Amino acid sequence: MGGISARNLRMEFDGFVAVRDVSFEVASGEFVTLLGPSGCGKTTLLKMISGFLTPTAGDILLAGRDVTRTPPEKRDTALCFQSYALFPHLTVMENLEFGLRQKRVAAADRKERLDAVIGNLDLSLHLSKLPNQLSGGQQQRVALGRALVMRPSVILFDEPLSNLDAKLRDQVRIEIRRIQRDFGLTAIYVTHDQAEALAMSDRVFVMNGGRIEQSDTPEDLYGAPKTSFVADFIGNANVLDAEVKSVNGAGIVELSTPIGLLRAACSGRPQGSKIRICWRPEHANLAATGENRLSARVTHRAFQGHFTDLHLNEGGADYRVQTNMPGIREGDTIAFSLRPDQIVLLETVA
Amino acid sequence: MTLKKWLLVLALLAPGLGLIVGLIGVAVYIAVAQSFGYYNLSGESGFSLDFWSDMLARKVFNRAVVYSIYVGVISSVLAVMLAYPLAIWLRKPFPGSLTIGAILKAPLLVHGLVAAFLFINVIAYHGILNQFMQGLGIWDAPKRLQNDRAAIGVIILQVWKQMPFALLLLTGAVQSISDDVLNAARDLGAGGFARFRKVIAPLTVSAMQAALIIIFIGALADFSFQVIAGPTNRQSLSQLMVFFKSGGRWNDAAVVGVSLMIIAILGSGLLAAVTRMTMRGRLA
Repeated sequence: MGGISARNLRMEFDGFVAVRDVSFEVASGEFVTLLGPSGCGKTTLLKMISGFLTPTAGDILLAGRDVTRTPPEKRDTALCFQSYALFPHLTVMENLEFGLRQKRVAAADRKERLDAVIGNLDLSLHLSKLPNQLSGGQQQRVALGRALVMRPSVILFDEPLSNLDAKLRDQVRIEIRRIQRDFGLTAIYVTHDQAEALAMSDRVFVMNGGRIEQSDTPEDLYGAPKTSFVADFIGNANVLDAEVKSVNGAGIVELSTPIGLLRAACSGRPQGSKIRICWRPEHANLAATGENRLSARVTHRAFQGHFTDLHLNEGGADYRVQTNMPGIREGDTIAFSLRPDQIVLLETVA
Repeated sequence: MTLKKWLLVLALLAPGLGLIVGLIGVAVYIAVAQSFGYYNLSGESGFSLDFWSDMLARKVFNRAVVYSIYVGVISSVLAVMLAYPLAIWLRKPFPGSLTIGAILKAPLLVHGLVAAFLFINVIAYHGILNQFMQGLGIWDAPKRLQNDRAAIGVIILQVWKQMPFALLLLTGAVQSISDDVLNAARDLGAGGFARFRKVIAPLTVSAMQAALIIIFIGALADFSFQVIAGPTNRQSLSQLMVFFKSGGRWNDAAVVGVSLMIIAILGSGLLAAVTRMTMRGRLA
């Protein structure tokens, strides 16, 4: 198996820059997700890795070999399509062995690979069926199996779960991750679903406007976003403009914000005096026993089952907190506190 | 369905389909009946197998059968073979693709006779092609290209005239194949020809069959191209039929006409079956 290395990748379509000078490394056996809103360039980047698009500039290396201009049929990658792209005129078995026959894999080896995948994906009952006789989940498994029998260095997924219902999506998500681990595959997974990205990935590359805005583990991405875009895109976040008032030696920075004066933990000195900050709604402590005590009026309340979402307004700023106390009603004024280490300093504001 | 609804359906179909079925049915009936001795305009009418036995014993008839099948099969296969790459090329719109598509389909609007005369002008003894080849120094003297014995002229005309029809059928079928399916084949290691053989051809087999059959029937029964550009030492079935009719031998003409119909039906079935079997072999 091999890793992926991309250096200064750029893709332009008639003057429109879809991917801007993107560089990254993916280690062998790592599961990386490209996450971002529609049009951010994630599928374009995937198509460049799979060979369906040739970058305008930059290089792609698979297992150390430059494949920038190698066509897809000659790359050691396998792509799982959003639409599954099963051959409608071929049975499940014929779909599974299509690639092996193309690569002229010997019959004994072919059988061994097919048996392993058929058993692993529980497809033995469907081998003689045509794709249109299968459910969405079964089609998904065939598409996955068709890619896995090729034993590629790199497996690529283009939003493979977007056509499945929520329950099935959870099952297949776990299955994909298990298979990726079992086969030791290097995987690149494209999605715009942040929950999917956080649940599955070793690392997540958050893309915006053709750039990788931040690449980190799911935990770091959620706990320590570097920009307001990432903070807002990954989970719920209250993003506020803030002005740095002072920084003390203990790594505490005092900030003036529209909702009041806040103290935040900071490993170094902020880059500028005007910055953005964020904090997660679930970090609000409604016992209001710690630092950064605030109060605000509830403008909207949404019961979500295991928690209640409260929309607040204070000083002209709208933000939200989450609580497991369902008794709070719209119009109530609540008090809460925030720990300094739960307030994250983001980018500077020009 | 109730009887009333059946009658309603039949009444609705009657002005269009009914008329066609009626007219063709009458013509087929008369032709079959005449081939067995009925409706004899120059002798006694009555059931007879003589016209069939005499015709089947004639060398000119058997040569015409072979010749017409040859022109029909070669023309249909060549037209489809040419139409496929064009349909794949025009699958995705690109600047100018509409114009190219329209130009390629233009022969559909040109009458066969006009095309045949234009073609004759080009390949005539003192025609443009001979002058051009001599001008280039490739040929020392003009060559006789007209009415060639292998019917290459007729086949060229048939392919020129019928290819746009195949293109029309195949373009729609090829366009209906999703990009993802073709990309998946590519991703799994299939090169250009393998993608055609294993994905495009099997998924467009119905359009391919329709094109082959319709072109085969048209070329099999060709008259105008054959008369103008065909070889002079052999006749097509339709030419032979007209020859008998012109001599007032309606029963002999009917035997040729019915033979033509039988060959068209059997040939079409055979072409469809061969295509399907070939594709089945390509699936795995």
